[in-house]
Amino acid sequence: MGTKKLVIEVPGEIKCIKDVSSEVLNMLSPYDIDNDRLFDIRLCTEEALRNAIEHGNDCNKKLPVKISCWVDDGKVNIEVEDKGSGYNPGLIPDPTDNGNLMKNSGRGVYLIKRLMDEVKFNKAGNVITMMKRIE
Amino acid sequence: MSVKIEPKNGLTVCRIDGEVDINSSPDIKKSFDKLISKKTPKIVVDLFKVTYVDSSGLATLVEILKNMKTYGGRMRLVGLTPKIKSLFEITKLEKLFEILGTEDEAISTF
Repeated sequence: MGTKKLVIEVPGEIKCIKDVSSEVLNMLSPYDIDNDRLFDIRLCTEEALRNAIEHGNDCNKKLPVKISCWVDDGKVNIEVEDKGSGYNPGLIPDPTDNGNLMKNSGRGVYLIKRLMDEVKFNKAGNVITMMKRIE
Repeated sequence: MSVKIEPKNGLTVCRIDGEVDINSSPDIKKSFDKLISKKTPKIVVDLFKVTYVDSSGLATLVEILKNMKTYGGRMRLVGLTPKIKSLFEITKLEKLFEILGTEDEAISTF
């Protein structure tokens, strides 16, 4: 199957999240990907988008978020870029520590790291690239 | 998403149907706020028809549990699909929640 790349830029609004993940899943529909992997890809795409909108762009609806998705060599790659000044993902507290279990937030990046096969942040901290093997 | 609330054998059963995520979380919270304001002592939450949960959905369930604990209430989760159960395992939330297989199992031992 030829390599296809989906690139979408959306306003930084929470209501756009579902539309973007639907586009990503739609693009992946020709590939033979099991439901558990599709669940992970959808979840991680939505979590990364939400982080980009809420933390990266600081909920400024005028700032866009760019999403790219491509498949190569049996791997789904998703990149999410915001316009914020970035953050150090290493500083996010571990949500599985006993003292953090009751917290109402802080599980998004942790889930991404656990559910995807590879996760990278750029130096500035405003671009996350996630990879999931599908073969 | 819908939440159906039904009294059963002296307990309260809440059956959620659909996705528990950033879009549905405010409505789910509202449904449970009514039960919490009445200090409902024991709630069984049936997730059998829940197909998707994100971090916002997990946080909403944590918040409901936290609010119930303020008055000594207890909540049990049942009917989780293996995929959704794995999210509770990965996030270690299985340590916070009482997770059982079925409604009947949760009710008979509550």
